[in-house]
Amino acid sequence: MQIDGMLSGVRVLDSTTNVAMPTAMHILADMGAEVIKIEGHTREESSNRDGPFQFLQHGKLGVTINLRGDGGLDLFKDLAKVSDVLVENNRAGTFQRLGLGYEELIKVNPTLIMLSNTGFGQTGPWKRYTGIGSFLELTTGVSNQTGYMDQGPRQVGGAWIDIHAAWMTVFSILAALNFRAETGKGQHIDLGMYQVGVTTLGVELLDFFSNGRNGTRMANRHPYHAPHGVYPCIGDDKWIAIAVESSEQWDSLKGIMGDPEWANNSEFSSRSGRHQNQDKLDGNLKAWTINYDAYELMHLLQNSGIPASIVPNSAEIMVDPHMKARGFYEKMEHSPESGFGARMFVGRPWKASKTPSYFRRPTPYLGEHNDAIFGELLGLSKKELGDLESANVIAEVPPKPKEKKGKTAAGGLQNLNNPGPSLENGTLAYIDADYQKRLGVEE
Amino acid sequence: MIPGLFSNIRVIDLTTDVAGPFATKLFADYGADVIKVEPISGDISRQMGPFHQDDPHPEKSLSFLFLNCNKRGVTLNLETNLGQKILRELIKDADLLIENNPPGYMEKLGLGYSDLEKINSNLVMTSITPFGQTGPYKDFSGNDLIYYAFGGQMYISGAYDREPLKHGTPQSLYLGGMVAAYSTAGALFARRALGSGQYIDLSLSEVMAADQFQTIVRYGFSGEVTRRSPKSDAGDPKGTTFNGIVPAKDGYIRLSASPPNRLYPRSGGTPWKEYADILGKPELGEQLENNNNTADRDKILLPVISDIPKFEYFHNLMTKDWNAAVVQTPEDLSTCPHLEERNYFTEIEHPVVGKIRFPGEIIKFPESPWDLRLPAPLLGQHNSVVYGEELGYSEKDIVQLKQMGSI
Repeated sequence: MQIDGMLSGVRVLDSTTNVAMPTAMHILADMGAEVIKIEGHTREESSNRDGPFQFLQHGKLGVTINLRGDGGLDLFKDLAKVSDVLVENNRAGTFQRLGLGYEELIKVNPTLIMLSNTGFGQTGPWKRYTGIGSFLELTTGVSNQTGYMDQGPRQVGGAWIDIHAAWMTVFSILAALNFRAETGKGQHIDLGMYQVGVTTLGVELLDFFSNGRNGTRMANRHPYHAPHGVYPCIGDDKWIAIAVESSEQWDSLKGIMGDPEWANNSEFSSRSGRHQNQDKLDGNLKAWTINYDAYELMHLLQNSGIPASIVPNSAEIMVDPHMKARGFYEKMEHSPESGFGARMFVGRPWKASKTPSYFRRPTPYLGEHNDAIFGELLGLSKKELGDLESANVIAEVPPKPKEKKGKTAAGGLQNLNNPGPSLENGTLAYIDADYQKRLGVEE
Repeated sequence: MIPGLFSNIRVIDLTTDVAGPFATKLFADYGADVIKVEPISGDISRQMGPFHQDDPHPEKSLSFLFLNCNKRGVTLNLETNLGQKILRELIKDADLLIENNPPGYMEKLGLGYSDLEKINSNLVMTSITPFGQTGPYKDFSGNDLIYYAFGGQMYISGAYDREPLKHGTPQSLYLGGMVAAYSTAGALFARRALGSGQYIDLSLSEVMAADQFQTIVRYGFSGEVTRRSPKSDAGDPKGTTFNGIVPAKDGYIRLSASPPNRLYPRSGGTPWKEYADILGKPELGEQLENNNNTADRDKILLPVISDIPKFEYFHNLMTKDWNAAVVQTPEDLSTCPHLEERNYFTEIEHPVVGKIRFPGEIIKFPESPWDLRLPAPLLGQHNSVVYGEELGYSEKDIVQLKQMGSI
């Protein structure tokens, strides 16, 4: 049988904000689920529809419900009644207080799968603490091992732990859908981002239990192998990452370097010797890599079986021939009114042979699908819809036609380009005026 | 017995290292019957430290113990005809096959997806590789460092004028495992409507590019290229206020503390008086508010913070709805009252290692909870159960298979 996506026929209610859960929801949409994003049009954040928002919310249908308005809660429950999955990321207890707790919702839909995502989960002494991914990078313990050897701990992720939570949410929903198909049972999944992050430190925890080790800064080093790091190449801020994980690879590397005298020194002849003397080893290696172009060196090393990589910036990774050949970036066509035009977005890091995932539609404007969802799906009449609008329970707010945006990245595009402080590490390096030509989406 | 999420699912696990085993662990932890198929010499990750009590013994690798609990283990030499025949027999009744051999290896053995789907059209096969099955770099090798580098994460991580940096633990491999688990679970779900399994090609370097989509989307929207930030960190005298990680009395905290929305003044700016009150230093409020220079604020704040215990700082802010963070060490996590109350840690008895404390439940599913049923398998521990009782080989056959080097 042919189906349009793995999740064809599954309806998901998306009552989430920020980064982690919207990411999970657009993945479900790419996989073929009908994802209905519920927004409160009276809330301030709903007006922030900048560049990252356009990526995070793509693929979804958009409706508005003002939960404080008269009949808003009923409308929400009517949607829950005809949906398979509901995902929300309000503070623990908020949905119960609104009368939308799982025990209420299963009265209208006994097999509903609901997932609540918060920083710390639905129970426990920290359950009401706010959880932002970039803060959890520290609290989960990831930062304790992270940083230069001569400094304290560091944060290096962009929205670290957010994407862990997004991917585990997709896994959880699929697992629960499988379980429901087998047993007929829905359930209320409690996903705390903290616990997800801590689980990636399982080995470090066991090392503490078994050996009393309490973690330390690792820089780019491997616990057992060397050389293992990034080394400078020709040009400003160009680097090569080299990871030698066996004696064979070390011998190959020596060969490529032309068997220099230093590399044959007995202190580097064993794995442990290279690891113990890696400051010296790195110093010598640097003096060699600096004469090479990073791309050229990556090919040279990889062709001899040595794990090596360029350290690309966002422009380089987007035009890389391998990523292009893989079709990792996918084009999104936005509506003419939106002013965004065609944009290249990040796809998924996997491909399924029979049910491809793909971008199904651009981000909806506020209330774009109110008529389709409330009218056609729930069967409300034109008059009922009108009444809800007059009572400010729902609203449709199409974008005002605007000038083309983002042609160049000059000032005045702050809102479009602003990635938000919690989204991203880093600082502006340069602006590539030809980016659309390079990405093949020039208008 | 309460059924697990994947109680009726059988997984054949040919993976090594971290990403694949973490993916199959997620299935195993939630009830699937995962058969870990190791080469006769054992999964290479049995050689990976750290080891229990620092004893480099193949049954004591902590990485192996953590990543392979709840699985059964058999040995099989896939490079012999008999080994390939036995794998096909295992595949016949399996739902999922997850492997991380280099592209082309399984095909060479006659065990590619096109061969296996003929035996079992319901099979979902997932291949995890450094750069995927196609494209000019498909034969390149990789590891955690390479994925951090190639995926673009490193370029924005670390200090502006120093070398790019990755996380100190192999986060990219855990993330790869999560993606493998969800994409495979998706194909498992789709079997019902599709009427068959399918093949999934996963690239670990793309996992990292997808994880740090922000800078890529930014370039795609405006041509802006992001580099590591000149913002400073602990130990750097240039100024850190409301960014970076700084020393508290007994460890590190993130000084940054975004206030709750209700306190965010529309005009911007931090409610310094409120912050000073939370620190228990109301007298500093005005001074902080009147000082617009980060370095100057640091001069006021850092000495104060360096005298506050890290958890006191964390709880004081968090209970008042501010966002705060504390750099927890493994020891901190092991005594975390929140994890304790959520029953995160558990214990298990391992035949060689003995009783060990174990990190547990990642996500709470009330109808089908996480369960630690089995410690990681000893090498070949389930050979006779799986090959004998389940595939029907006699004891004599099994001895012969051993002598022939097939198991």
